Amino acid sequence: MEGRWQLKDREAERRLFARRMLVASIVIALLFAALLVKLINLQITQYDYFAARADGNRLHSQYVPPARGLIYDRSGELLADNQPIFNLSVVRERVDDIEETLELLSSLIRLAPEDVEQFRERLKRRRVPFSSVPLRYVLTEEEKARVSVNAHRLPGISIEPQFVRSYPSGELNAHAIGYVSEINREELDAFAEDVRENYGGTNHIGKTGIERTYETLLHGEVGYEVVEKNNRGQVMRRLERTDPIAGKNLTLYLENRLQRVATEALGEHRGAVVAIDPATGGILAMVSKPGFDPNLFVTGISNADYSRLITDTVNTPLFDRTVNPYPPASTVKPFIGLGGLQHGFTDTDTVIQDPGYFRLPGVRYRWGDYTLRTAIGGGHGETNLQRAIFQSCDTFFYDLGYRMGIDTIHSFLSQFGFGQNFALDVGYARTGVLPSREWKQATRNEPWYPGDTINSSIGQGYMWATPLQLATATAIAANKGVVVKPRMLAAIDGEPFEPQDPNPVGNVQIDNPEHWRYIEESMTMVVHRPYSQVFRDYGTAYEAIARADRDMSYKMAGKSGSAQVVSIAQDILQSEDIDLSDLNKDHALFVAYAPAQHPTIKPQIAVAVFVENGQHGSSVAGPVAKAVIDSYLLDILEIDFAAVATDPDALLSEDAERARQSDENSPSLVALIAEHEGHRHD
Amino acid sequence: MKAPSNRDFVRQSNVSFTQPRRLRSFWQVIHIDPILLAGLLALCGFGLFVLNSATGGDAETIARQAGTMGIGLVVMCAVAQFDIQFYRRWAPTAYVLALLILGLVLVIGVEKNGAKSWLDLPGLPSFQPSELLKFIVPMLLAWYLASRALPPNLKHVFWAGVFTLLPAALIVLQNDMGTALMVTMSGIFVVLLAGLRWRVVFAGIFAALIASPAWYLFLAQPHQKNRILTFFDPYRDPTGAGYNIIQSQIAIGSGGVYGKGYGNGAQSHLDFIPESNTDFILAVLAEEFGLIGVLVLIALYLFVIIRGARIALTASDMFGRLLAGSITLTFFLYLFVNMSMVSGLLPVIGLPLPLISRGGTAVVTLFIGFGLLMSIQTHRVTRPAR
Repeated sequence: MEGRWQLKDREAERRLFARRMLVASIVIALLFAALLVKLINLQITQYDYFAARADGNRLHSQYVPPARGLIYDRSGELLADNQPIFNLSVVRERVDDIEETLELLSSLIRLAPEDVEQFRERLKRRRVPFSSVPLRYVLTEEEKARVSVNAHRLPGISIEPQFVRSYPSGELNAHAIGYVSEINREELDAFAEDVRENYGGTNHIGKTGIERTYETLLHGEVGYEVVEKNNRGQVMRRLERTDPIAGKNLTLYLENRLQRVATEALGEHRGAVVAIDPATGGILAMVSKPGFDPNLFVTGISNADYSRLITDTVNTPLFDRTVNPYPPASTVKPFIGLGGLQHGFTDTDTVIQDPGYFRLPGVRYRWGDYTLRTAIGGGHGETNLQRAIFQSCDTFFYDLGYRMGIDTIHSFLSQFGFGQNFALDVGYARTGVLPSREWKQATRNEPWYPGDTINSSIGQGYMWATPLQLATATAIAANKGVVVKPRMLAAIDGEPFEPQDPNPVGNVQIDNPEHWRYIEESMTMVVHRPYSQVFRDYGTAYEAIARADRDMSYKMAGKSGSAQVVSIAQDILQSEDIDLSDLNKDHALFVAYAPAQHPTIKPQIAVAVFVENGQHGSSVAGPVAKAVIDSYLLDILEIDFAAVATDPDALLSEDAERARQSDENSPSLVALIAEHEGHRHD
Repeated sequence: MKAPSNRDFVRQSNVSFTQPRRLRSFWQVIHIDPILLAGLLALCGFGLFVLNSATGGDAETIARQAGTMGIGLVVMCAVAQFDIQFYRRWAPTAYVLALLILGLVLVIGVEKNGAKSWLDLPGLPSFQPSELLKFIVPMLLAWYLASRALPPNLKHVFWAGVFTLLPAALIVLQNDMGTALMVTMSGIFVVLLAGLRWRVVFAGIFAALIASPAWYLFLAQPHQKNRILTFFDPYRDPTGAGYNIIQSQIAIGSGGVYGKGYGNGAQSHLDFIPESNTDFILAVLAEEFGLIGVLVLIALYLFVIIRGARIALTASDMFGRLLAGSITLTFFLYLFVNMSMVSGLLPVIGLPLPLISRGGTAVVTLFIGFGLLMSIQTHRVTRPAR
């Protein structure tokens, strides 16, 4: 019965229920009170803290990189431009699992192992927290779309537009302009604190050439902005902004058309061309061949491309031949000759008898003239300085150099910039070697021997000069002693730029101005003195330059040279059975300026041409110089020499008359022999 | 002094006395409680308003949510049309059927969000049968206890426990701990309101306190342990497990007293708050409307709760009282657990903020509960038992 039939006190039950509801109400009130305390704690007591945290969440101060200055050539042609690309960037702090993210990304876009490797390198660098680190440069439109669609799965990943360098002329100016590439850790560490700050938003820095020399001008000043970002790091709003100051636009003396002409004229050869405006020292052309595509370096060169560039030990495309030294060979002869005249070791009348070799007093060893290596054989016979220059007679200079001594040669030639870097803004150019007793003692710990002087007096032995130095010396010769120092930068933001010369040097003082005229005449004969009945009495470059272009409207002063690559004992050179491989062939050199001997127009351009293993200075390097000078004088400066009244020069008229006769007689036996020799030596 | 009319001896107590027939008002005719309805409409409106900002003005979401609320209101009205005695009569049958369906779910159920609690029957929208248990369990317990002398003796409490834990266990098997917990709590509320003796209550609380370390050490899943550790120190993993609670506290705290203004909640609009439409919508509200906004919400909730309590207290029989009390307390538990979890007062438990968070099934379930409340309120004039 009990449990089935119970006393049911409805009123008591109702009151019991009411009491329970009262207890529940109290509990509810207490719980709400606790919640309220918590909310007051969050929203009133800790309000300042959380408000700051909320701002810290969304507000980010970030750098705005400045636009890099543009680089123009002398005529206003754009050599270095900025182009927009889209990069994939990562804010590491926003990424939970970087490995997973990278894996997902590599399924969406092309992500080479190198990209990932470089990215990890970048992550290790010192950087502002929550700053974005580039992972892949230059996304394609399709890749951009793929990443955007998957953005929700990729927190911390964003696509950022960026302006990067582009070099429209590509390979043409690769060495002279140089390139920018990603800043590496060493470069960042080397910065002072304020400079590092200035590079806060910059990924690239000039590595070589103008880009490196004028990095400070080109870079500009960084700007700042405060942006609001969402939790995936995407910028939602810009709140505050200090604009960056763009880098300066640079105008160079460089003439892109001349670069193109020089490059084409070099053809398949390896080599270098440097052209200088003798009036200013402005570098008009500076070509090293082969070049490379500087655009490859901007967004990170691939390993394959890079190893292709560095493993090519024959062509060495990254090696700048314009600023690296080679034996200048016979191109120094006009300078040694001028020194001989100035210091009285010879004069315009001095004549030596050249048997084809030179012998020091009391020494059996013979220094051979190049003519020993020709089919006809030895010597030039009676030779004065002028003939020694246009025929490039070694024996004359062996004798002259020996008598001048290395000290005189050193002090005289150093006025032309040999052995030093005269360039004002090509700091990376090497100095070559203008040997002296001190130099040999210091570097080789050996005394200076008379034989060393003899080698030096024909630009061999210890003497080394860069094509840039040869062009500089030639420009100074064109100026008849007025020293100009080579420079690249002509104007900053359109304002003409006058560089500070930290080590000003005086002009080359020649007591008798007649000697300048004499040397210019001799160098002009190198190019213009035609064949005649007289044995070995033509200019070494006549065949390749003046005879090849009978309508040449101006005179060119030049000097050829052939630099020995390997030191082959002079005795062995006499043997007929030497088979020189291509790489052992002589380097061909040619220096020139023009117009020469012009009554009204000063020399406008001085050129040095270096052709690696080109063998024949006059026939291989000479036409390159001719092409560059033609292009500059006739096409760029547009000088109409025919229209310029000329005062017929006696000697030139005589040469012209002889050239006419020579043509009438040709092909005479003499001319054939001369032709043959012209190809053999300079 | 006890009047004899207040006592009688009954078996299987049906209402055996007739109340004087009162003038039936318009609201009683249509079986709607206008006060509760007003409170609910205000909550729904406020909810849509906040959701509009939380979704960034996503009209489609707002329209769907409003549609869901409309369905809920219709269901509520429909539920309220049936006499509460009807529910009482059918409670055991419904309970048995519900158990069978839960068993069926275990066999042919569909898994969503990690819980195999959905039933996808052809021709019906997919739904969670476990939701139904949230009111079927208190209904059954109210049916069971109301007809027995109160406070319940231990045997009745034992059976009440069995009736509660049986479906709860089935729901745990579906891997839906949150619903199982709420079902259990709705049952416990009935027993507590029925007058479970305090010493039993305290003994239970004490036992739970003793058992909880053991649970933590031996039974808790890794993710549950993680949630508890994160509750005590959110900054042990600020970008992982602690991220939600840190960001939501930043949102609430940075709202201050007056808030940042409607639509200006940077934390939610910049996606720092996860689940800003659902479980963490309170953070959006607190950021944009500040402490004042939260107080308004609490006031609206209190209005509904007080009305529910009033319905419970004035219900004409014990079944109605217990059921109305349990529904009201369960509603409170929902909102309190959510608000506490979002503000960091409790560990994170995946429960939505009732009538404010975006959601489908749960909203309809809530309105069924409110419909039962209205039925209790408007069917108080009962016919004599046959």
